[in-house]
Formats: sequence, C-alpha cells, structure tokens
Amino acid sequence: MDALLQGLQLVFNGQTLLVILAAAAFGIFVGAVPGLTATMAVALLVPITFYMDPTPAIAAIVTTSAMAIFAGDIPGTYLNIPGTPASAAYVGESSLLAKKGRARETLGTNLVCSVFGGLFGTVILVFVSPSLAEVALKFSSYEYFWLALLGLSSSIFISIGSKTKAFLSLMIGLLLSTVGLDMMSGAPRFTFGIPDLMAGINFIPVMIGMFALNEIMSFYGSRNEVRNPPSLSKDKVFGQVPVHVKKYWRNMLRGSSLGTLIGALPGAGADIAAWIAYAVGKSRSKDRAAYGTGHIEGIVDASSANNSGISGAWVPALVFGIPGDSITAIVIGVLYMKGMNPGPTIFMEGSGLVYSLFVVFFVANLIMLPIGYLAIKSSKVFILTPRKILMPIILCFCIVGAFSINNSITDVWIMLLVGIVAYILARCDFPMAPAILGLVLGTTLENSFMSSMLKSNGDLLSFFSRPISASLGALVILVWLSPLLVRLYQRYKAPHTNHTPRSS
Amino acid sequence: MKDVLLGLCFMVAGIVTIYVARQYPTMPSLQYGPSLFPSLIGGGFFLGGLVLAVSQVPTLRQHASEDRIAWSIDYQAILVALLPCVLIVFYILASDYLGTAISLATMMFVLMLVRRTPVVLALGVSVVASLIIYFIFSRYLLIPLPEGLLSVGG
Repeated sequence: MDALLQGLQLVFNGQTLLVILAAAAFGIFVGAVPGLTATMAVALLVPITFYMDPTPAIAAIVTTSAMAIFAGDIPGTYLNIPGTPASAAYVGESSLLAKKGRARETLGTNLVCSVFGGLFGTVILVFVSPSLAEVALKFSSYEYFWLALLGLSSSIFISIGSKTKAFLSLMIGLLLSTVGLDMMSGAPRFTFGIPDLMAGINFIPVMIGMFALNEIMSFYGSRNEVRNPPSLSKDKVFGQVPVHVKKYWRNMLRGSSLGTLIGALPGAGADIAAWIAYAVGKSRSKDRAAYGTGHIEGIVDASSANNSGISGAWVPALVFGIPGDSITAIVIGVLYMKGMNPGPTIFMEGSGLVYSLFVVFFVANLIMLPIGYLAIKSSKVFILTPRKILMPIILCFCIVGAFSINNSITDVWIMLLVGIVAYILARCDFPMAPAILGLVLGTTLENSFMSSMLKSNGDLLSFFSRPISASLGALVILVWLSPLLVRLYQRYKAPHTNHTPRSS
Repeated sequence: MKDVLLGLCFMVAGIVTIYVARQYPTMPSLQYGPSLFPSLIGGGFFLGGLVLAVSQVPTLRQHASEDRIAWSIDYQAILVALLPCVLIVFYILASDYLGTAISLATMMFVLMLVRRTPVVLALGVSVVASLIIYFIFSRYLLIPLPEGLLSVGG
C-alpha cells in the first residue's frame, strides 16, 4: 500500500504532470504530421528524458507514444495518408467516411477506441506482469538465452514481407550489438581502434539514425510535398460515439485483446496489431461487404488494437527485459539508464517506481480524451504543417540529440552511417524492427549463452536440462518449424478442399 | 536487380565479418570464445545474402528475355536525399569553428531553400530554431555544445 501511495505521489506532482501535458502535445503533433512516426518521436525524446527523473522520463515516453498512435488517424482521415504506420490498416475506411462528411465522427470513434484499447492493455499489464514476474524469478541464463532467441525468432516470423530480409535486418542489429569489449575475454571487437567504441554502440544514435534520419532522407528523396487543403467537416466529434460503442463493443474488446497479445510478441508492434485486428474484424463481421466502402466497424477493431498493442508491448519489456516493439526497445535502454533495470526483480523491490509506471499508463490514456478532442477540433493546423520547415529542424534535433548522450561526435558519425544504411535498406523493403531487437537483445543472447557454457563446461545439452528451459527451447524450435508446418498443413488441406462438393 | 546487388553485398559482408572474427583470441577454458557470435552472424549474412540473390534469379531471367531492362533511377532524387548527410558531415567538421548555433542555422537554411521555402521565412525560422535548440541543450540540459564564433563575440 505504501508503495502504491509512493507511486501516486511520483506521478501526481507538478513536474510530472507538466511533462505529461507537454509530451501529449508533442505526441499529437508528431503523430498528426504524415511521415513522422511514433518511434521517431520517442527516439527524439530520449536525449531530453536522459536529464529527467525516472518517473517523468517514462511518463514522457508512454504519453508521447500513446498520443502519436492516436494522432496518426487525423491525417489518415482527412488526407488518406496515415500519420504513423499503425493507422495504415484502416486509412481507407476512415478517409472514405471523411468524404461522406463524417470525419469528426470517425475521429471521435477512433479516439474512444484508442482510449479503450490503451486502458485495456494497461489493465492486462498491471495484472499479468507481477504474476509473470514470479515465474521469471526462477529463470537462469539458460531460460534467458531461449527467451532472447524466441524474441528474435518471432521478430522474423511475424514481420510483414520477405523473411530473408527480416533475417538480414536482424543480423545487422546483432552485429552492432557485438561491437565493443567482449564481456568474457575483454577482447575488443569491431572497434577499429576508436576508444569511443570500446563500451559498445549506444543504441540511441542508432535509433535516431534508423528512424529519424532515414525519414528525413526519404522526404528529400521524394517530391510529394504539395497537399491540397482538405475541406474540414463540421459534424460532432462524440455525437454518434455512444451508438457505435453500443453496437460494436464486442469489436472493441476483441481488437484490444488481439492488440495486447500481438503487442506483447517481440517484433510485432502497433502496426501489425492493427492489420491483424482489421483482418479478423472483417472476417467476423456480418457486414463484410461494407468493408472498404467507408464502414465505421472497420476502424473499431484496428483502432482499439494499435493502442492496446502499445501497452501490451510493455509486459515482456518489464518482466523479462525483452522488448515487444521498437518503442519498448528504446524504453528498455532508458530504464537501464534510470537504474530501473527491467526484469522480475523490478516488481519485488517494493519501491513506488513500478506503481508510478502503471499510474502513468492510466493517466496518459485518460488525458488522451480531452487532448485528442482538442486535436480533432484543430486538425487543420497539424495536417497542413509544411514538412519543408519541419524536417530541417528535426535534423538539427537529431544531431544535437545524438551528441548529447555521451557528448561525443562519434555518436553523430554512428547516427549518420546507420541512417544511410537504414535508408538504403528501407528503400529495398527491409523491415527495421528486427534490427532494433537484434541490437537490444544481442548482448543478452550472447552473455546468457556464454555464462551457460561456462556453468556447464561447454555442454550444449544443458540448455534442455531444466524443465522451463526445455519448454522454451521446444517453443523456439516450433517457431522455426512453423513455416514448414504451415506449408504441410496447406498441402494436406488442398486435396480435401478440391473434393468438396459444390453447392451451386 | 536491387535485391541481387544487396544479396551480393551481404555475402561479401559475411566473408569480411568471418575473416575479422577469426583473428579474435580464444578462451583457454572453453571452446567458445569472442569469435563465436561474430562468426555466426557472418555466416548468417552470407547465407541470407545468397538466398536473397538467388531468389531474384527468375525475375532477372524474365527481364533478360524482354527487349531491354527498364532502368529508372532518379539520380537527382538520390543526390537530394543525400543532402542531409552531407550537411551532417558539414556540422561535424565546421561546428568547432563556427559553433553549433551558426552551423545548425546554415544547415536549416540550405535545406529549406532546397525545398523552395521563401528566403525570408527560411532565414527567420533557421535563426530562431537554431537559437532555441542551442539554448535548450547548452543552457538547460548543460550539454557542452561548441560555441565557436559566438564565444569570440560574447
């Protein structure tokens, strides 16, 4: 009880509340400007949170990401351009609704679904994490090795597009994680005689390069700045929302559950959650034919799912230190910097920090309602902000932000090189999430493998000698075999469907 | 074609990674040393690159059977995309002498002009934004950003 009160005290004070408000405005702005993603917002925020206390720092990240994911719907609705990738799944539905003069109604429904999804994910986070942490307390290096491998494997198999490209992207992240002094032997690896690289590559310049510089380069490489000012509708924001909520509450629940689950899987973030929830919603709908014509049901599932995915991704991040998406990958680094080492012990220390984190989630999702309402009312400001003015300013933030982590120009070089590589890879449809997970989990994977080998004198079978470890190992092997099993299942099913008699 | 070239690049990167990793010391008590993971990653690069390149061979054959391959590379767009990178190098080289505020303002001004922002607006925004960024980071967050010419003047 004391810890809970302490947690409340950490959140409900002037400084933290002010940070939450500022982060909300920042998140709405970044999310609503097409081309700026939620991950980019968080990556740019980290250098500033570096100088804050733990609670306001985490509050800033949680609020920014939640707001940005919702705000991505604003340009999606008015311009048919998703503000963030998480809105892409239902951008067609929402823009068609806007053309019917129902833009504010659509955004109002989006907002309520986002708040519901965010709160649903938070409730799961609050109730599931502590129990999961008790199980995680029994974990040793063997289990952590499998867990890291499971996270990395899922990041490949869940990714959309070519699995080979996802695998290569992961390898790049893993290679970056090996730079620096080897933990076991002390031998320098890939340091090229640069002293700043001895401690390894800091993930923040990598994030900034991968998500911000890459976007800036894409902007200058493209020629589509001109946007026609949309005619903004004057319908009521929340007028029809109670009707939609009453009619589609099951969709909200289903989307939120799916979103939380998918968000918790490493490598799958809010965007994949939204795509899957949209597809499931469509397949279960009675009005399937109405999908794609501007149907409000089409946005309920996915809009709930992307915000619940944000909260869901925190479950493995807090309990095991395994990030659920790119944003929590950044968060894990911030938690380490703030002395809140993620892992089961974070729940056992009895400090108010974990409770403050839970409270922050509730506050961030609840203030989304009034701030989101204001954002919907002033949509024109966001969607017409010229990127030709914004992008140069963001580039300057990138440089100063990368430099400020270690006050070292080497970090600016790292950001530049990673940005160029990310730009080339992104143009060739390589996903970025596996690279980030590789960078964050690479050290855990290698260190847990090496310490397990030291304990067992190099016996590889020791990875299957403990029950939990063996189960996790079997799960990893199952994930690896899943494409083969799916293909076998499809081959088995094909002849059977061919023989089914036709009804017409 | 892009994927074939990238696949080959990854294969070369894999060979280089394995070659570099083989030079790392081994540990006396264990058969696995600091070279294990980099070697595995190098192997992953090589195999992944190979699969990527080989998977594109049918597409290449199809193109080869057609009269000519349509190459549509927008070199101007690529050069403009690289401009932010050139300006970052400019910052790295010039910030010690010019100082952060002036270097950032110059970068922003150039980038805005490239996208045809009116000169007065570009100049105004560049100066104001660079000063705000400079003061937030150097005065509020106490980052030792180079002052350059500003320190001479002040």
